[in-house]
Amino acid sequence: MDISVRKRAEVQLIQLRGPLRLGPAVDELRQVIEEALGKGDTRIAINLAEVPMIDSSGIGLLVRFLASTKKHGGNIKLVQPSKFAVQTLRLVGVLNLFEIFDDDETAVKSFA
Amino acid sequence: MSPDSSNAREWYDLLDLFMPADAEAIAKATDTISDALARLEVPEEKRLQVALAVQEALANAVVHGCENNPSKEVRCQLQCDSQGGILVTVTDPGPGFNPLSLSDPRQPGKLFAEHGRGVSLIRQLMDEVHIERADAGNQITMRKY
Repeated sequence: MDISVRKRAEVQLIQLRGPLRLGPAVDELRQVIEEALGKGDTRIAINLAEVPMIDSSGIGLLVRFLASTKKHGGNIKLVQPSKFAVQTLRLVGVLNLFEIFDDDETAVKSFA
Repeated sequence: MSPDSSNAREWYDLLDLFMPADAEAIAKATDTISDALARLEVPEEKRLQVALAVQEALANAVVHGCENNPSKEVRCQLQCDSQGGILVTVTDPGPGFNPLSLSDPRQPGKLFAEHGRGVSLIRQLMDEVHIERADAGNQITMRKY
């Protein structure tokens, strides 16, 4: 998986490319988010436009960090998840836990 | 033991994979299965559903059946029939588990759990799922019409 990170208006924008699944992909995303949290960055938007599949390990990671960021006054918001990713999140009952946006800009503004 | 209704159909063997029990091998196997289904021109949505179910089954086999021990092996078999039906069987050497003992991960108190969604997802993605202890080990058979 390719991961790129940039910061805009105190929001960490994480762009993922590739399946988010058990193994290096989930491990790398975990590391990126932990680094952000370690610096006190609890406002995170994850762009999933190029993520064709999220497995239960990926979902577990997202909800775990959603809980920790919210505990510290932040949030993890999702940008452009694919139709199948949305279906998967819905099937496991967590879709409504997340705020979802059509683009990075709107997601960043929502943290204001 | 296969789903009873599958006895009326003729299943064609497409893939018979043996993989070491590690996470990178799961991704490779899932992609191999997805590619095989793409060559059969299985519609994208169905292909993604099967691929994700396979990913989850292989993850369970590696993590629970083989305790992440790469010296152990997981078997993944892909079959199809002439009517577009897909049958995937994943076998691991582990002791197995009682699927009835699994709680529903969609319960309010479990939504933020980091683990425990795999079997629930498989059951929702596939049309028939059977989990059993076979001679070869713990086996999950998943069928998509």
